[in-house]
Amino acid sequence: MSQVPVARLQDVTKRIGSRTIIDRVSLEIYPGEVFGFLGPNGSGKTTTIRMMVGLMAMTSGDISIGGHSVRTHYPQAAAQVGAIVENPEMYKYLTGYQNLLHYARMNASITRERIDEVVKLVGLSGRIHDKVKKYSLGMRQRLGVAQAVMHRPKLLILDEPTNGLDPAGIRELRDYLRQLAQEEGTAVFVSSHLLSEMELMCDRVAILQKGQIIDIRSIRGQAASAQQQAEEALFDVDRPEAALGVLQGQGGGRIVDGLLELTADRNEIAEVNRRLVEAGIRVYGIRTKTKSLEDQFLEVTGSETIG
Amino acid sequence: MANFWKLVQNENMKIYRRMRTWVMLGIVVLIPIVVTVAFLLLSDSKDANNWEMMQLETTILFSLITIFTVVVAADSVAGEFSTGTIKLLLIRPWSRSSILLSKFIALVLFSVLLSVVCFVLTWGVNTLVFGFSSDTSGLIPANSPLAGQSPWTYMGLDYLYEWIELIVIVAFAFMLSSAFRSSGLAIGLSIFLLFAGSMITGLLSVTNKPWVKYVLFSNLDLTAYLNGGNPVPNFKTTVGFSLSVLAVYFIVFNIVSWTIFRRRDVAA
Repeated sequence: MSQVPVARLQDVTKRIGSRTIIDRVSLEIYPGEVFGFLGPNGSGKTTTIRMMVGLMAMTSGDISIGGHSVRTHYPQAAAQVGAIVENPEMYKYLTGYQNLLHYARMNASITRERIDEVVKLVGLSGRIHDKVKKYSLGMRQRLGVAQAVMHRPKLLILDEPTNGLDPAGIRELRDYLRQLAQEEGTAVFVSSHLLSEMELMCDRVAILQKGQIIDIRSIRGQAASAQQQAEEALFDVDRPEAALGVLQGQGGGRIVDGLLELTADRNEIAEVNRRLVEAGIRVYGIRTKTKSLEDQFLEVTGSETIG
Repeated sequence: MANFWKLVQNENMKIYRRMRTWVMLGIVVLIPIVVTVAFLLLSDSKDANNWEMMQLETTILFSLITIFTVVVAADSVAGEFSTGTIKLLLIRPWSRSSILLSKFIALVLFSVLLSVVCFVLTWGVNTLVFGFSSDTSGLIPANSPLAGQSPWTYMGLDYLYEWIELIVIVAFAFMLSSAFRSSGLAIGLSIFLLFAGSMITGLLSVTNKPWVKYVLFSNLDLTAYLNGGNPVPNFKTTVGFSLSVLAVYFIVFNIVSWTIFRRRDVAA
């Protein structure tokens, strides 16, 4: 990507007492990408986010958003950001609409029409004039998304956004975030420890452990290259031993849990299937074992406990 | 950037959309009526000077108004921390100083509203019941610097002094509010000091140490000057002196609130 990054973190460090919570974290987030921020609990994801939105001061390093330093030009930097930090805590004695109005007043660009539009977008139209104390966690999460996107931020920061959402809500949010990134060019920064979620949502992920970034990798690119690569394929057949005989050891075939497992790329899989069928073996199903982000994550972070 | 007044509008919304605020206002409205009706029922004379009744009720009401404003002030910042709403409030394109200032202005407006309601009702109810009296001998003591002046001037200054006392205490509660994450602690501590203050003044009045006159509580009771006295009888301070001391405390409290609030890491 040759674009100018929306957000740039440079050697961001946070020390509390003698403990280094965040250690020289550097990353860049570009317009139109969904950037995942992964890490086990206690790795410093939320602390990093708090520093990005100015809730915490950094010990050294700098964060700039849209070219404005969070340290020295906070209001200008904050104007480009929409965020939910941890749970979206709202004023419970106000209605959903009054809550949105509250945040809208703090940003000159938001009109009443825009508030209505956002309310419709997050699907709260029917309940927006109810007090927030009557909302479910999922509804609060939706209201949180509404306040974060109301002013069309260039950078949207969501801390564990799928907490409290039902599967349909998660899917809706995922689609919406992808749409925001693609159509409006918003940079979306999402933190999570739910790896499978991130895999579906993100273009790139950074993996944080003990306050340090240990890896930044592209996810979409990997999915594409995986098609050419040889991978583990599982064949569900009626007579695994006979099938193994037919293949004569091709691809290091072996029997695992009654399934025939072998290593092959896409073309080879089709070829194996043809040979099995021609030999009169019934093939009930074929699937490939793509290495999930979870496997990769555990590979990189090891099985270490919270540090 | 939106204009600053909208921040104050937000703070006002957070004060007036709460049930407790209307309970407070209801009490401020009810007390003058209840006290006057009680007087009519219990007193033999059935007649009183409207100004004297107004002053009596004002004294009762102002301690309540102070408590109410202290509760709102103590909750103002600490409450946002204890509910976690502070996070979504501080990530807007405004400096923390502006947000803190908007909160303080909303508190000042709230205290002015309560004071005005108090003035209008205590004057209105008593004038309606007892009639307008031009006899001020019972209201303004002979040794008062305001002797011979109109009751409007006297009551006006009475309210001004009561209000200055209130705003200094509110600045103190607001400081505790910025310092603590729990609104319960901030409210409790402020109200404790409010009451402990009069005891401290009592204790201090028996000593003759020269620094006593610089203590906050030795200067809070400004209305004593209206009757020709002093907040602490054995120190012959002047109104100007007490006002200066209070101004210094007021500024210090606000600098402390501002410093804490501006630097603080929000990790809740």
